[in-house]
Amino acid sequence: MTGYDTAGRIQDIHASAHSEFGARPNYWIRYFTPSPAADLFNDDATAESRGAWDSGGPFVGCISAPTQSRLSGSAAEGHADAQAFAAAMLAAYHAVGPMRLPANGQLYCWLDQEYSTSLSASYWNAWANYIAEYDFAGLGTYPLYPCLYCDPHSEHPNCSTIARSRQTDKPSAIWSSEPEPCGRLTRPPRWKAHKCPTVPTRLWQFGEQGACNFTADVDLNLGAPGFITARYCFHISRRP
Amino acid sequence: MRTRRRGNPVGSFGPGGDGAGISRRGVLAGGIGTGALVALPDLGLGGRPAGHGLSDPAAMRYAFVYGTPGGDPAPGGSLVAAMCPASPPASRANPQSVSRAVAAPAPVPLAIKLAAAPVSSADRATTALATVDMVHDGAKVTLTLLDATSAAFARQGSVTVTGVPADAQVLVTPVFAPGSAIVSLVLAITEPVGKRMVRKAHPHTGSLVARLVTIWRSHHALAYFDQRSGAMTGPFHLSDEPSLALSTAAANGSDLLLWTTREPQPGDPAEVRAQASLSRLSVFPLGSGKARLSALAPAPWPGGEPVATLPTGDVARLVRGRHVQVYSARTAEMAELQIPAFSQVSAKPSAVTMQARADGTVFLTKPGAGVAVIADPADSFRTRTRIHFPVPASPLGAPWSKAVLSPAGETMYVLGSAATGGLSAYRVGSGKLAASYSEGRHYYGIYQLPSGTLLAVQAQNPRLAFFNADLSPLGTADTNLHVSAIF
Repeated sequence: MTGYDTAGRIQDIHASAHSEFGARPNYWIRYFTPSPAADLFNDDATAESRGAWDSGGPFVGCISAPTQSRLSGSAAEGHADAQAFAAAMLAAYHAVGPMRLPANGQLYCWLDQEYSTSLSASYWNAWANYIAEYDFAGLGTYPLYPCLYCDPHSEHPNCSTIARSRQTDKPSAIWSSEPEPCGRLTRPPRWKAHKCPTVPTRLWQFGEQGACNFTADVDLNLGAPGFITARYCFHISRRP
Repeated sequence: MRTRRRGNPVGSFGPGGDGAGISRRGVLAGGIGTGALVALPDLGLGGRPAGHGLSDPAAMRYAFVYGTPGGDPAPGGSLVAAMCPASPPASRANPQSVSRAVAAPAPVPLAIKLAAAPVSSADRATTALATVDMVHDGAKVTLTLLDATSAAFARQGSVTVTGVPADAQVLVTPVFAPGSAIVSLVLAITEPVGKRMVRKAHPHTGSLVARLVTIWRSHHALAYFDQRSGAMTGPFHLSDEPSLALSTAAANGSDLLLWTTREPQPGDPAEVRAQASLSRLSVFPLGSGKARLSALAPAPWPGGEPVATLPTGDVARLVRGRHVQVYSARTAEMAELQIPAFSQVSAKPSAVTMQARADGTVFLTKPGAGVAVIADPADSFRTRTRIHFPVPASPLGAPWSKAVLSPAGETMYVLGSAATGGLSAYRVGSGKLAASYSEGRHYYGIYQLPSGTLLAVQAQNPRLAFFNADLSPLGTADTNLHVSAIF
């Protein structure tokens, strides 16, 4: 199952993406606060959700890309970043009437760790713990699940950090940025995403816009065999 | 081939090599943080005997390497500073540089368990460290000011936030005020307000697992440290609970500007939800816990965006990687301006930086778009100079400093392209490539030290590589830190 991620606004991008790839995505993954260098989904969640609906891929996954040096930092920094991320998702959920939590009760919440960034145990454990224990919308169902976007083969600590985390703070999934064979939305490569020893890779960014010379402002992603990515995203149930 | 010499990490070091310039009282160790800091003599100082240092006092400065210790996160791990002599790189762009190789500096450990990344003053003369220790009556927040000329602890002050439980999170943000001796401390205090046993589905099996969860509430407090008297005042608790801990702060010579966001609540009425995208800007006279001005601030929420205090005292936020919001410190009114060179959106965010310069202009970089700009805040951030360069590897990853401007502003140094690695230099006047260096190695951050020496960061030891202003390699140094930033 393939889909897009983007730092731009879905409503501005989906038409050009459709022109380039000729198919509708199954899902979008969008940036939420704190992602200081991106357009944020939670800034205008209604327009973004409308864009996702119009694109034919009415599922929105959530990622946060904090200032990367913070990921090497303290528990207080990880806690604060997770708190802001959860609040941004809640604000979007409040703003968009037809935005629904996943039917399986598991909304994957991705932390963006770039190749040259080091992830400290203090930061990760506090970040993951806050996400996992967040009583989203007061529902009492605790539907947020911490997950990690990274390059598992990076020389900087990532897999080794999460391997040391407690069971409840372990990420539910890895989203791997490597390798990068490129491909098309409708013709993704065979599954060969890089992985960490202790956590399954369930999403693979097989084509980045810059490296693969895509015109549209999207990266291409593929779910692991048997993993339906859209089921772990917000669902836009009708056009907002 | 690199040679390696190990020595006592807290032994003799400094400009004269005898430790006389250093008055550290041992390594500073906070209580609940993670980051560590080592001092690194500028390479212009390395190996110089006492009395033969650089004549320019501005160049007699240390650089501070911030990161997280490699290996097991044992407290002692970060104390093992690598001591590396000169190490001529295996291949050189300029063979003459071999003869110019000088003794590489030895990183010296200064602090561990920092509560947050350090912050440097605008003139880079002082670097502020924050540590938090849980004590019997609350959280003791300590601000330590490092003198960049000696790497000594120049000033230190503490404030205790009483009544804070041991499992609270205290996020400390030091804020220098240009033209003022006051250093503000923004404290985000997040306390557990309840615990509850819940059942949550296991992510892989779906089976319900019992789990004790904690409910948290945050508010902010302010404290102020006077560098002249050494006095700390505060904490002044703000009545902003429930608030997000994450905030943005900047100061001018008279005021602290603080952006905060109310934490959305499940039971919020519609009119409150409608304003959820707004934050609040509060303006505090330096030294005061009472805002003289407070107003709603438009999106985005504060959260790590670059900020710069302008010569007028107004403050600019670089948001979404492409817009500058200029806030009046007098009225809190905001004007949003676009940086045309940054307007292109892409699938992936890029690191962005914004730095105020002595001539009143600002230097902005967006390496993911392969562009840097010098803009004039006095003229609506009109672009004065635009320089294009190939996109480097990992344009979003740490460290975020991928391009630096020489102090005189005539040369920009930037990481080499994702294909070639290395470093490049561009003439600011023409935007043309002036020099490049590559032996196939990728660097992930670049800084220019006060002596003019360039310091580039790579993934594996030797993690620190030094270059002349003409990009001739000078030497390398090891550190046990995974480097996040250089101060």
